Amino acid sequence: MKLTWMLGGLACVASNAHALLRPAADDKDERKAWTVRATKIYTSTGRTIDKGVVIVNNGKISAVTPGSDEGDASTELRVYAVTAGLIDASARIGVSMDAVEQSREVAPEVRVASAVDLFSPAWERQVECGVTTVLVNPPDRDVIGGLGVVLKTAGDNAIAKRTLKPDAVLRGAMGSDPSQGNHPAFGRPTDFYSRRPTTRMGVEWEWRKAFFDTAQSKQDASKKFPGVERLEEVLAGKLTLSIQAWTTQDIRTAVFLKEEIEREGFGKPRLFIDAAAEAWKEPQLLARSKTPVVLPPFPVGGRTDDGAFMAWNVAQLLQEQGIVVALSAHGNSELDGRLAMQAGYAMRGGLSFDEALAAVTINPARLLGVEDRVGSLEVGKDADLVLWNGEPFEPTARVVGVIVDGVLRVDPRPKQ
Amino acid sequence: MSHLISRTFVSTALSLGLLALAPDAHAGNGKIAIKAGRVITMVGPDIVNGVITIEDGRITGVSADAKAAWDAEVLDHPELVAFPGWVEAHSNRGMDRPNENVPVAPFLDVRDSIDPISFYFEDSLRAGVLTINVQQGNACVIGGQGMVVKPFGLTIEQMLVKQGSGLKLVAGARPGRSRATQAQELRKAFLDLRQYLDKLVQDKQDGKDYARREALFQGKDLEKEENKKGRAFEGTANWKVPGLEAIPRGEIDDQKEPLLRLVEGKLPAFMYCDSGSSVQLALDVARANGFLANTVLVLEGDSWKAADAILEAGVPVVLSPNLMYVERDPLTGKETETFVPKVFSEKKIRFALQSLNPSAQSLWFQAAQCVANGLDRTAALEAATRTPADILRLGKRVGSLEQGKDGNVVLLSGDPLSVRSTVQYVVIGGNLVYDRSKDVRMKHLMNGVEPNNTAPGGVMLDASGHPCNDAPTVDEKSKTDKGEKPPEEKPHDDHKDEPKKD
Repeated sequence: MKLTWMLGGLACVASNAHALLRPAADDKDERKAWTVRATKIYTSTGRTIDKGVVIVNNGKISAVTPGSDEGDASTELRVYAVTAGLIDASARIGVSMDAVEQSREVAPEVRVASAVDLFSPAWERQVECGVTTVLVNPPDRDVIGGLGVVLKTAGDNAIAKRTLKPDAVLRGAMGSDPSQGNHPAFGRPTDFYSRRPTTRMGVEWEWRKAFFDTAQSKQDASKKFPGVERLEEVLAGKLTLSIQAWTTQDIRTAVFLKEEIEREGFGKPRLFIDAAAEAWKEPQLLARSKTPVVLPPFPVGGRTDDGAFMAWNVAQLLQEQGIVVALSAHGNSELDGRLAMQAGYAMRGGLSFDEALAAVTINPARLLGVEDRVGSLEVGKDADLVLWNGEPFEPTARVVGVIVDGVLRVDPRPKQ
Repeated sequence: MSHLISRTFVSTALSLGLLALAPDAHAGNGKIAIKAGRVITMVGPDIVNGVITIEDGRITGVSADAKAAWDAEVLDHPELVAFPGWVEAHSNRGMDRPNENVPVAPFLDVRDSIDPISFYFEDSLRAGVLTINVQQGNACVIGGQGMVVKPFGLTIEQMLVKQGSGLKLVAGARPGRSRATQAQELRKAFLDLRQYLDKLVQDKQDGKDYARREALFQGKDLEKEENKKGRAFEGTANWKVPGLEAIPRGEIDDQKEPLLRLVEGKLPAFMYCDSGSSVQLALDVARANGFLANTVLVLEGDSWKAADAILEAGVPVVLSPNLMYVERDPLTGKETETFVPKVFSEKKIRFALQSLNPSAQSLWFQAAQCVANGLDRTAALEAATRTPADILRLGKRVGSLEQGKDGNVVLLSGDPLSVRSTVQYVVIGGNLVYDRSKDVRMKHLMNGVEPNNTAPGGVMLDASGHPCNDAPTVDEKSKTDKGEKPPEEKPHDDHKDEPKKD
């Protein structure tokens, strides 16, 4: 252990020297090697290190070990606590309603990556909140809106370079969003025939028709429609399906859809339900179908979108039932709504700290299939680190430093 | 052993179904002793295993070895933390409507607008906010008089802590008006007062008795001592009303009188500012009319940029609930953040915090954010306890746990600034008014446990449909006090009916 640390330290010193020789461009320190000392290292692997060091080299974590929390403040970063970069599996940033494909209700071939605005100030705000990886989905005004993409929140301003996983999920929605207003998502209706469906039952029908046609199209080519290949991937379990469903009735519809597909022998979809505010009402349903859940931000006064009621203990209740839970802030960066506070609120509802940490790091990483790169502090993973000045998720603590891919994006050192 | 909470209280609480909203429901002898594992007094170091004794609604002792009277009830919770309760210096909530549609209305009083059974007060009690200054909203010029209440009681009288806490004035442009119009209307209100008073004096000198006849017509008792006498114009305004001593005070129109009290330094002012420039207006108006010394500024937006002017004026402030001010450069798009309490703390200006909402982001959350952003813990706690108490001129009654203060105590499951802490008990004026284990609505919000059923009249029904009027025995009560989970609802498996095939 000690040897690893020393080797890491040496490597770090070497690259520090390198960084010093290289003139800093644009006043930005782009070096990718850091030594972070902390009183607490929460690794998201179930292990907590009291007084230790995380060493970052070349954008990757090269060591996570116990060690003194005292060090050379001029070359190292010293903070109270370190966690892995936070992951939001439902960050609603960087896309506007312009990204709604209006030609069809079922548009599985549409890639939201083509519409993401990397120049929105929301990205920097997320970084400052400690969020380093996000899933960006198409807006939920189509029944099946298209393909979501997993992105880093900082880095080069080019989608390809920020992409952690392209086409990570196929995204769709139950409930009132896809049927809201029998008119275009924006602008005036241009003809008599406006958008369909207009009801919850219409939304459900579109879902079932899409999968039925996909299954039929193997025999009957006339059933094929644009993007059918993506639905085939979903049926084959190769592409994760993410469905937004706030209320119990919509959660039921999504789970029943999955179970119906399995019963009919169409395939075995990997489903997770997003924004499942009322998941606490029927946790056994989700446990039965082994469906993971992404929770929406805790609302003030209990009510969320779609009139759903979210009890404070929902995360703890689901976790007790063995359901994988991820938390989301839906892109909120306010002091009281950011992802770190969502983890705090889940703790207020009874979730343990370790589970709350998992719900904003390793759980969403697994849901999105990027756990080999991010989601915990382990040697070899991307150097996405959040540095805290107190116990993470308590409102008495703040994110003071953020490292993304080894680059220090928020500097914890006092300004000179 | 020690859960000698009055049976009367418990049964009242149950029969109301929710909280025991009727004050004095506690039919005890007014003596209570609260033992807690840690007592945060706010006036010195925390006391480990402290005892707070309360008699006749006042604290009689706070120490590690305070002796309770032999006949006092004892609330013994070594696992809990005792805290004085948060103080809200300014709130527009709990009213039916925060503003009248008359822009200058100093004669209005929130006591006519407060709704005692509003969820706001219930939530405040749950959050441990025990003293609230309810003031009119900001869509006015002069809104009326506020009132300090406790979040407990079915009538205004029961909730009352202090009447006439202050007059609400608005220096920031109200919706639909320009800044200039707002400034003009605010200044004109004082000019109108001055002209009205001058005319009263002139009429009296001319031998006209319109004012007297009007007062008698309105049914005022002009023979009452305070109405009978005239008094010379007091106050330090840059204008005077010569000859006012000739006017019996009872003859002054009730619609104007509160503004005169403000000018004479007998009523504090809560002046709302939405920007740095409105701070300047507020201070100008307060100076010109002689009430600067009794002014509290209620700040919003970028008002913090006028911190130097506020420091020079020496007035305390109530900060916006949005503690982080984000400013975006319109040209470069670059965002800069300013943590507002830090600005005031560094300049040593007295400031009080406001809740963002009455539930999860109440005063505890605001104080915790101050700690996260570099204020020291004591300063953060004081900004939501002692400072607002001082601002409301209730420094001798609330804001800390000291002998002689109101018997208000919150018992928390942990540190008041932790996201995991919850309010377990609240004692107001020596009466136990909140017990979380009996809070049916909290169980619904927290655990999704719906109240079994509520019959008309708010009577809780038990599982078999009978009203649960009987108080639990002491043994039953101590069980629930040990923090045992409420019985979980059995998962009802009614999803066997699968959807039909296509």
